[in-house]
Amino acid sequence: MRPLLASVRWFVRACFVVVLVMLGTTVLVRSAPGYLSDAREMDQHYAHAARDELAVVAAQSRSPLAMLRQELSSWFKGEGGESRQYGIPVIELIGPRLSVTGKLLCESLGLSWLGAIGAALLSSSVRRPRFLWQIPSTLLLAIPTAAMATLCLMMGFGGPVAVMVLCLAARDFKFLHAILRKSWLEPYVLHARGQGISTARILLTHVLPATGPQLGALASLSIVTALSALVPVEVIFNVPGLGQLAWNAALNRDLPVLLAATMIMAAAVVLAGATKFESEHWRRA
Amino acid sequence: MRQSLSLVLLLALIISAGAVLFRPGSSYVHQDRDALFAQASPVHPAGTDGMGRDRLVRVSAALLLSLAGATIASALSTAAAAAVGILSASSPGVIGSLTLLVCDAFLALPWMFLLMMVRSAIPLTTSPLASAVITFLVLAALGWPACARAVYRGTRQLRHSDWMLYAAASGLKSNQIVRALAPNLLPLLLPQFLVSLPAFIIAEANLGALGLGIAEPLPSWGGMLAELGNSATLLETRWVYLPVALLVLVLLLLEAITAEAQR
Repeated sequence: MRPLLASVRWFVRACFVVVLVMLGTTVLVRSAPGYLSDAREMDQHYAHAARDELAVVAAQSRSPLAMLRQELSSWFKGEGGESRQYGIPVIELIGPRLSVTGKLLCESLGLSWLGAIGAALLSSSVRRPRFLWQIPSTLLLAIPTAAMATLCLMMGFGGPVAVMVLCLAARDFKFLHAILRKSWLEPYVLHARGQGISTARILLTHVLPATGPQLGALASLSIVTALSALVPVEVIFNVPGLGQLAWNAALNRDLPVLLAATMIMAAAVVLAGATKFESEHWRRA
Repeated sequence: MRQSLSLVLLLALIISAGAVLFRPGSSYVHQDRDALFAQASPVHPAGTDGMGRDRLVRVSAALLLSLAGATIASALSTAAAAAVGILSASSPGVIGSLTLLVCDAFLALPWMFLLMMVRSAIPLTTSPLASAVITFLVLAALGWPACARAVYRGTRQLRHSDWMLYAAASGLKSNQIVRALAPNLLPLLLPQFLVSLPAFIIAEANLGALGLGIAEPLPSWGGMLAELGNSATLLETRWVYLPVALLVLVLLLLEAITAEAQR
């Protein structure tokens, strides 16, 4: 009964967070200077009447509450609003791109975790971890994703997955190394090592189970990192995913599309359990 | 030792950049129309870009602008986080829980998407300086929740410490307790401030590389990284890699300072 209650509580909290995100992004977008100015109003190709109509449409979203109501009703209708740029329901734009982004995310997250865990296990289990292990990850973390993607593209080295993996693995390795190192230095683990128990057995029965919750929290953090790295990677490598759509919408001031993309990303983070871990963290504090 | 060395190197970089930028006759907008994509020369030590602007002056200006902007944004974000963290830890349960919920909502938002959303809503006529101010203000507005969580935890720990319980039992008022708490949170706030610095610099660079950062002709890391996307530019001169190299160096130095402070 207790796990069920906890799940229901988590679900309610997750729903609250998504609604808050929706409210927050709507207010943020509405409060941004120049939200009501439409680039089309400056276009001489539009007649005065068309520009007046644009002004009327813009006036409908003067109140954040009206904007939110409009946004919510369009989501309930299954449209997700209408794209300013293309004039079609946002959901039609997002649907085909979700699978592309999902595939890229799954591949990069899987490969980066494999690489980071392997490297962290090796680096943390040695008696004296060398500084050399940290150099590649520190160096990779100091290169902005956009610069790394551009350089890879220009040099013909790797693709979008490779850049995402490098970015994510560098960050994950740093945390994983610290978590595993701490676990390897626990008195009971040192005692087990002193008793001559094999490294593989210690790893499977003591180290990994003890670090499980932290690894779970780190996994949700890497999803957040991956979502942020997604935009420059998709744009630079011309991957027709959600990140590229959001960037295109940002350049063309297509705010309904941008708002929908942000909300989908936020829902993905919530579902990944990031906020659950955060709240657990707070509660325990 | 490593921290001191990194700090000295960073200061040396800042002073050199200042000297390059503020020497008489140097301007980051001046165009030398006869020297487009020029190689290194005594007049232009790191060559010029596609518009004939001195690359060294522009990189120096970008370094100073980015560091100044990130420092101000980080200070604002840390101050906001401290205020929210202390208030939520000191207030009744309901207010604390609501604050938690708001922080959770912020933490659930991927930065890049939110940054793009706010930057794209800025008028097209915004001046370059205003675009820089807005970019860093947005970064500050989005960077506080993670830090607020740490401050909340620290404040809660301090509030349950023996000396704080003794202070409360002695009849200290809430504002007096907060005043006593604040200095004890400094060891927590300083690393948070330092951690935000490279994060904000990277975020600005990524945003600028996508064409949504600081507007031209103001130099920024992002704007100069965007130059790398042009293969013709890469073939013209190797000096086009200077901004990336310098940016990586600055971030590594900041990382060394931060790591030491966290320890």
